[in-house]
Amino acid sequence: MTEARKKRITHGLMAAWSGSIIVFLYLPILCVVLASFSRQRYFRFPVPAFDTKWYDRAFSSLTVRDLVSTSLSIALLVALISVILAFFGALAFARFDWRGRRIYQRLVLLPIFFPQAVLGLALLIWFSSVGIIPDWRTAVIAHLVWIVPIVTLVISIQAYSFDPALEEAAFDLGATRWQTLKEVTLPVLWPGVVSGGLFAFLLSWGNFPLSLFTTGADQTVPEWLYAKMVSGYTPLVPTLGALTTSGAALVLILGYGSWMLLRRRKSQRASP
Amino acid sequence: MTAATESTLSDSTRPAPRPQRRLRNPGLLAALPVLIFLALAFAAPLLAVLGYSFMPEGTFDFTFPPTIENYHTVFSGSYYISFVKSLGLALVTVALLMVICWPIAYGMAKIFGRWANLMTLAIVIPLFVSENIRLFGWVLFLIKGGVLLGSLQTWLGIEAESILYDVPAIVLGLVYVYLPFTLFPMVLGISMVSREVTEAAFDMGASRWQVFREVELPLAMPGILIGGLLTFILSLGSLAESKILGGQAVIMIADEIETAFTFGQNWPLGSALSVLLILFSGTLVITLLNWVDLDRILGRGRDD
Amino acid sequence: MADPILRLSQLSKRFGQFAAVKDIDLAIDEGEFFTIVGPSGSGKTTLIRMLAGLEEPSGGEILLRGQRINETPANRRPTCMVFQSLALFPHRSVGQNIEFPLKMRGVPPMQRRERADELLRLLRLPEDYYGKQVSQCSGGERQRIALARALAFDPEILFFDEPLSAIDFRLRKTLEKELKDLHRETGKTFIYITHSLEEAMVMSDRIGIMRAGELVQVGAPDEIYSRPANRFVSEFMGEVNVLEVKPNGAGLHCPALGATLQGPGGQGGPGDQGDFAGGYLVIRPEYLRFLGPGETAENQIEGVLYNEYALGSRIQYQVRVGEAVFLVEKLREQRYEGQLDDRVVIGWEARDSVLAPE
Repeated sequence: MTEARKKRITHGLMAAWSGSIIVFLYLPILCVVLASFSRQRYFRFPVPAFDTKWYDRAFSSLTVRDLVSTSLSIALLVALISVILAFFGALAFARFDWRGRRIYQRLVLLPIFFPQAVLGLALLIWFSSVGIIPDWRTAVIAHLVWIVPIVTLVISIQAYSFDPALEEAAFDLGATRWQTLKEVTLPVLWPGVVSGGLFAFLLSWGNFPLSLFTTGADQTVPEWLYAKMVSGYTPLVPTLGALTTSGAALVLILGYGSWMLLRRRKSQRASP
Repeated sequence: MTAATESTLSDSTRPAPRPQRRLRNPGLLAALPVLIFLALAFAAPLLAVLGYSFMPEGTFDFTFPPTIENYHTVFSGSYYISFVKSLGLALVTVALLMVICWPIAYGMAKIFGRWANLMTLAIVIPLFVSENIRLFGWVLFLIKGGVLLGSLQTWLGIEAESILYDVPAIVLGLVYVYLPFTLFPMVLGISMVSREVTEAAFDMGASRWQVFREVELPLAMPGILIGGLLTFILSLGSLAESKILGGQAVIMIADEIETAFTFGQNWPLGSALSVLLILFSGTLVITLLNWVDLDRILGRGRDD
Repeated sequence: MADPILRLSQLSKRFGQFAAVKDIDLAIDEGEFFTIVGPSGSGKTTLIRMLAGLEEPSGGEILLRGQRINETPANRRPTCMVFQSLALFPHRSVGQNIEFPLKMRGVPPMQRRERADELLRLLRLPEDYYGKQVSQCSGGERQRIALARALAFDPEILFFDEPLSAIDFRLRKTLEKELKDLHRETGKTFIYITHSLEEAMVMSDRIGIMRAGELVQVGAPDEIYSRPANRFVSEFMGEVNVLEVKPNGAGLHCPALGATLQGPGGQGGPGDQGDFAGGYLVIRPEYLRFLGPGETAENQIEGVLYNEYALGSRIQYQVRVGEAVFLVEKLREQRYEGQLDDRVVIGWEARDSVLAPE
């Protein structure tokens, strides 16, 4: 067998393996979607009869509305705050050379390498010892501890490819430090910032272990789902699961769609 | 050019000479918001946990004097069983993921070309679906009468036992949830191995296996280790996989901690367990992060 | 002469629709220093990668001492390549790098060490470099380490994929000579690719010029220098004066100058251009000279001295003749004494020019 032939076969096998892993990753999500359309109270496969009644019920449920609004408030706030913190954090991580950078880089990464459930519990007793009663706002803080480092990393990867001469050129052309940031640094890092924000929103929207201990009396969608999975199963579990999943997909598509649209419009304006 | 002529030049074109701002390094300033936040919301809670771990049983406040009775309870009790089991599951997960991820990571870094971006996207998207929804999907797949067993029975007439609520199901869940955490650092690691270096090894007589062992594996090691460690630490402290897929087959260490804090209402004991888990994983993480060159992995050698 | 060590016949490589290398025929003799020169995208890298076994040909044959090796992979060919990036293993010491090919062949450690020391000496690297990290070595030292590593298993042919292209000018000049010395010392066949004809001139026994996947001209450096096959080859050699001309019975008519020039000619005296049917007349800047009062040359043109450039030991002048621009080069000692914007007469002898058909 020739070398080229062997190579083709190995590459084919690798592609097939990768493809099956993608299937593996989506398999359970598809199961949830399938179950959400089942008419029966308890899931059976093959599904004897399909129905959308659980969706009707979910849309009219006040509990669901509360859950979604709590999750949404947390995720939006987390996305906003984390992007602001992480933008500067990433500049310190990747762009500037300063004395404490090495230690700082490692400190920032630590929360990512941390069991989230333990982190949630630690925050819970910290809040209670300083006299804060947990509600959805404390969950925002909990999410941020884990998400700010991730967004910092996402923006940092963008910042690494940033040519420092760009800022120096702007400086040299008479821009102030603030103008340089606004006119050069931010636009160049903008793709990283947008995807960082999207990451933050989606990770917060789906987070469970941190929310579990830090939302107090409020409840997010993943928490409610977990509670119902462990005890008191209702067919609304797959339905709401499928709904939050499609919500996340929608945000992802809308986010990238509007981003591409914006870019296209900009490039059209640049070249009439 | 002298300073005098320079200032006259700039005076004619600019309103006023600006001070030398470039000399002041903005690094610390930019890092400050994140650092302050992490000090208050990450370091402080950990210190609180450390503090509580030295309080007598059943206190919900800091009192004096400190005691080490919680650590005594931990070490004399049977907690080590949960710890060893968690450790074992984490190790098995890491080992499986290394083998599963290598061909994919290699393909994404070296072979798939434009398809690699699409794969990245395809692997990232499920991360945005809540972990427990995805695990619940596995319950639906594996449960008796579920997708797997249901189709086996209906179409092939095979009756089989469900693997749900036992160790294999937990391992499946861990492998499933942490696959991207092993994969992506591994991709970064492998993309640090330049094509010319592997070709050179090949050209000098190395076989495919020798190229892998002597060149690719050692050069990709930083990425592999980061991914492996991330997976190890997160599996070690995992909670949802064993609860949703494992029933009560295995009590993970995070389970014990949660029980101590919630049902047990024994914060000092939970804190002592947490401190030990944090010490164990923290030591590993700090050792590794100290060893790898983050700038090289993330920035692909900017500081050359 | 003995049979060639390497023979290529109708060798070609296609990537999809794109033909990177087209039907190349070439024979390379044992012990030769052969250089392939071409601009980027000319297919020279693809060609050398096929010779090394890193790329499989789409057609034709590669024969090593008469044996077809098309399908033999790189790790089983008795050849070795020095890569553009040098491809030194960053995780290995200098000694381990040099020993790598021997280790792959199962040579025991003692012998490996002996050979590594021998090579360190051959390449004039200090013996204590054996344990040094590659990252601590300078550019020139890395170059020598890569050479030592390539020589370690005594390959029959060494390939070089522009290993000097990223090195600064002065060091490159030294290394070019060192490489030629190493070629003499080892007596091995060297096949080298580069985009610089100047570099090729310094080292090679023979040069092949490549363009768009084809060998345009193959010959000894002198031959290529004095008889470029076409305008592409002549311009590749650096700055030359190129004039579009057409034979008109009396000589070569140059529309840009509106003058008739004398070309190098065939045997039949002035006006005879052999079978040249039109193309380019090429004159090197150093063959042009300024004509003082009373001096003459076979071809003479009047122009204006526009600018001068000091190039180390030589000085180059730009002379404008209408729209046309001429470059004249003189040694510093023979510089033109005058001022910019002077009206000057420049000239050259017909035998110093070259005709290029395309």
